[in-house]
Amino acid sequence: MQTMDANDTGKAADSLPRFAVVGHPNKGKSSVVATLAQNDSIAIAMEPGTTRDSHRYPMKVDDVTLYELIDTPGFQRPRKLLAWLQGHSLSASDRPDTVAAFVNQHSDDPRYHDECELLRPIVAGAGIIYVVDGSVPYNREHEAEMNILRWTGRPSLALINQIGSDDYSADWEAALGQYFQIVRRFDAVRAPFEKHLDLLRSFGELAPKWRETLDAALEYLQALKFGRDHQALEQIADALIDMLGHQETARLGEHQDARPLLPQLRQRWQAWQREREQRQRRAVEDIYLHRRLQREESDLTLPDESDLFSERTRQLWGISKGQLAAAGFGAGAVGGAGLDAVTFGHSLGTGALVGGLLGAAGSYFYSDKLNKVKVGPLSGGFREAVYGPLKDPQFAYVVLGRALVHWYQVSQRNHAGRDVLVVTDSDGHWLDVLSRGDRNALQKSLQALARRRFDPSKRQRLIEQLELAQQAFAQWQLEQF
Amino acid sequence: MSRALTRLLDFDDQYRRDQKQDQAFLHRRDRRFAQQQQEQGKPLSVPAWLQALHALNDQRRDSGPDVRLRRWRQARWVFAGLGAVLGAAFMLGLLVYDGGRQINLTLLMALVALQCLLAVLTSVQAWLGWQPWRGLFGAQADDDPLASLRPALSARIAHTGGLLFAISGLLALLVMVVVQDLAFGWSTTLQTSAEGYHALVSLLAQPWQTLWPEAVPSQALVSASQFYRLNSEGAVSDPALLGTWWPFVLMLWLSYVLLPRLVLLVLAGLQVRWQARRALARHPGYAPLLYRFETPWVETRGEEEAPRAPAEATVALSPLPASSTLIHWAGAGMRSGAVVGALSRGPGPRQLRAGGNSTLEQDAEALREAGQRREPVILVARGWEPPTGELSDFIMDAREQWPAGTLLALVPLADEEGAALTDRGLQAQWQRFVERQQDSHLLLCAPEAQSDNTPVDADHGR
Repeated sequence: MQTMDANDTGKAADSLPRFAVVGHPNKGKSSVVATLAQNDSIAIAMEPGTTRDSHRYPMKVDDVTLYELIDTPGFQRPRKLLAWLQGHSLSASDRPDTVAAFVNQHSDDPRYHDECELLRPIVAGAGIIYVVDGSVPYNREHEAEMNILRWTGRPSLALINQIGSDDYSADWEAALGQYFQIVRRFDAVRAPFEKHLDLLRSFGELAPKWRETLDAALEYLQALKFGRDHQALEQIADALIDMLGHQETARLGEHQDARPLLPQLRQRWQAWQREREQRQRRAVEDIYLHRRLQREESDLTLPDESDLFSERTRQLWGISKGQLAAAGFGAGAVGGAGLDAVTFGHSLGTGALVGGLLGAAGSYFYSDKLNKVKVGPLSGGFREAVYGPLKDPQFAYVVLGRALVHWYQVSQRNHAGRDVLVVTDSDGHWLDVLSRGDRNALQKSLQALARRRFDPSKRQRLIEQLELAQQAFAQWQLEQF
Repeated sequence: MSRALTRLLDFDDQYRRDQKQDQAFLHRRDRRFAQQQQEQGKPLSVPAWLQALHALNDQRRDSGPDVRLRRWRQARWVFAGLGAVLGAAFMLGLLVYDGGRQINLTLLMALVALQCLLAVLTSVQAWLGWQPWRGLFGAQADDDPLASLRPALSARIAHTGGLLFAISGLLALLVMVVVQDLAFGWSTTLQTSAEGYHALVSLLAQPWQTLWPEAVPSQALVSASQFYRLNSEGAVSDPALLGTWWPFVLMLWLSYVLLPRLVLLVLAGLQVRWQARRALARHPGYAPLLYRFETPWVETRGEEEAPRAPAEATVALSPLPASSTLIHWAGAGMRSGAVVGALSRGPGPRQLRAGGNSTLEQDAEALREAGQRREPVILVARGWEPPTGELSDFIMDAREQWPAGTLLALVPLADEEGAALTDRGLQAQWQRFVERQQDSHLLLCAPEAQSDNTPVDADHGR
């Protein structure tokens, strides 16, 4: 955030695409800037209608500014301003100069502080992005503002932001079309990333000299998005490696019974898993620059009973022993059963019966091996009691499913969003979107993790498999909604 | 310990420190470093990066090795000491010669072969990454950056011990050759002829037969050296001849115990270095670092905006004064009979309009008309929209034109139907607006509940 410099010169600024986001107070100007600048501190910081100074949000690539968004205060006295302009203009040709004269004359007048703040960058050469609320009916009271902006003679684009649920966009479009070169609809809170790019591309249409720079900026933004998706994948992969292979240990005397240690070790293991999962969540949010995000998410919970296929487990992780067995998924003799963990019992469809018998064998085989404390050999008068890793194949898919749900929501979330991010468990068969070969490869990697036989050299391969899972999850999400 | 190991540990430390930083900071920092290196024509490498970070953080490297390598270093010293002691003891034990019978070369060669085999097995085990002795170290941390190097490090320690064993054994042999009259012979239960045995030793002596021909036993020496323990009366015609085996024994030890250990130790050292480099390249922080080096730093956020909490405001709503003069700011609630019924007393209130799309002249006319009525005025506004400067100007103009002491009740609505504003944030916003006007006759009010909603002509007041 930089306060506008009063010494801005029109010529120097004209070469750099700059866009002043202006409008009536509380119509979503700051939300638009927050989303396009990917800065969640903008929307949160202000009380509606209290933006008093202009703030610049430059888009820089290696410290070279490609374009600049300027968040401005809302109009406070548009009718008086327009009256002043009309009273000082002789003909249409002197209108831009008259606006500049107004700014010069009133730069020290506290009554016109906001008007000067919003007009100064425009007078200095910035393009105009005029924001209105498309959820309220068109009202002629905005015409004074639109007239003032027209008087500046600068390239202008009107943005119909949808704040409420009602839609009067068509009326607005008709009215705004008379005043602005381009009219676009844009939901600052919900518009997907592709729409952000479309909007920025529209900015480039305002003046031919800006187009090339804007196109370059768009390429960088696109690459940045891909880079972030990949970084998020790395975070998910590292969390999976840590969580699936995690062990809790305790020292035992030579003749001490290990069984009483089970609850304590189990509790520590669970607490560690939660902490690690939370760390992964924060890392992903940081990658997407969501630093003020409030999140609601159920804790990763291990079923209480030692039998992970109990009724309680079924309720908790949403899959019964029979379903788990039947949904063998064809992923191999011992591992296939777990793949349907994330389907929560809704997946006995395509491909679920393939390999069911093998999967069944695997799941029952596993059920006897889960949740036990292993005791190591005697060394120095002590033995080591080890809890974990949890070899249940569905655990891996629960962790992965939760991580993908969180990633998807964070990666799609705009920085103007102020609502709490509610992360639910994955409740659909997104794995169906993956090809059989990819499912099997993923399953193998996850199994190796759970057996602590994961070679660090395979991390890159795991990331590639997760990339496919990520794409499958995103595709599944799009198909669902 | 090699530099590659220290670098790996250093990198891992930096990676852990960086995990507490946000990605944006890391990208900016590392991209800047990459650009500086390119500008100065310097190589873009992990050591240079680490060095730059150390310099920036004013971190001075300890003169000694990393503490995590100390354990391995100590183990190496212990193995070296043990090897030296055991090697000398082994050789002295082997060369015990009391004149009763010759020192059996067959046994000596078997033990040399065993040493050679052990050395090769140690290396093979390390190359395969097999760790049968893993349990000796107890539980290993999951995130130990040296985890993948344990077999190679262990092999290097074992070979160090083996090399010291071979060296001290060789020295003990030389000492024994000098201070004692050693007599070597060969004996075996197998029906082996002297020719066959000679062929065996000649084969073993291949590596040095051109280098030191005297160290290659002759057929005559082999024939003269065979002995049988039962044949205690078998006199040795030339005892000095049996001592001439020592160059062969020396070269046998040198070639099949010492040199293999030396070569394998060097290979183990190279393996450690190679694996340390590979571990660095596979480190979870390595690929992201390269990404940060190569990818332009894209900044859209600007600087962080510090949260600005609005000033505290205690909302104090005043009772609605009795009035039949309403001014609808920007037409707020003008078309709602409920609004008019809730705010005015008596039928047929005067409804005026100002602000919004009214002209400034229309505002002035509304002010004039309201002032003439000489009663409190109710100013209705949309509570969900922030109060603007035009509203403030309007109130100031009213104060200048109206009789002194005229009450002005400002009523922000929650909707066009006249509901009272209940949102605390919005109420506070209007409270602050009223306080900013510094007008004791300006009241913040809420519409009163009204049972009889009389419809009113919206254009009545125009």
